[in-house]
Amino acid sequence: MQAQIQLAALLAGVNLVCLLALTAVWARNYRRFRTTLVLGLLAFAVAMLVENALALYFFFTMQSLYSGDPHVQQAVLVLRALQLVAVGTLTYATLK
Amino acid sequence: MEKALWYLFTATRGGYNRVRIVRTLSDRPMNANRLAEELDVSYKTVRHHLDMLAEHDVVEAGEADYAKLYFLTDRFERYRDTFEDIAGQVEE
Repeated sequence: MQAQIQLAALLAGVNLVCLLALTAVWARNYRRFRTTLVLGLLAFAVAMLVENALALYFFFTMQSLYSGDPHVQQAVLVLRALQLVAVGTLTYATLK
Repeated sequence: MEKALWYLFTATRGGYNRVRIVRTLSDRPMNANRLAEELDVSYKTVRHHLDMLAEHDVVEAGEADYAKLYFLTDRFERYRDTFEDIAGQVEE
């Protein structure tokens, strides 16, 4: 696998871990507080969780898709990095 | 303030314990140590929650140097209804 895609896969893995933590917190909170806000947060975390799991799956099974164009690889890496910033910040604020 | 209350109490890991702290302080002001005993939570956890609640202007500490009592702020009392809305959602 190309280095950039490897790194993107690693970032997707870290995102997954953060999202698992968020899903756990919000699922527990939803059992306690039956509010729309927490339900929305929970749906968000689960959707992102699935998105990252799918991304990981594609990185490992469709390498040929990414191998051709270094610009595509770079774009994919940047997108994963931005998502890590978003999800990481939210995780920090939620676990406090 | 309303948004902050929703975040503090429902969206975070420690939200439920923070609701319990505010309920306890509604009955009477208390120091961190008593709160920890009353709620059966570690002193460190209570300290962390009190700091978060103070940061968001929900509670404030009294004057004492030792065993400071914590009070709910006037600002919080103005948003008491929001808190009751949130706390009312708790499934006992």
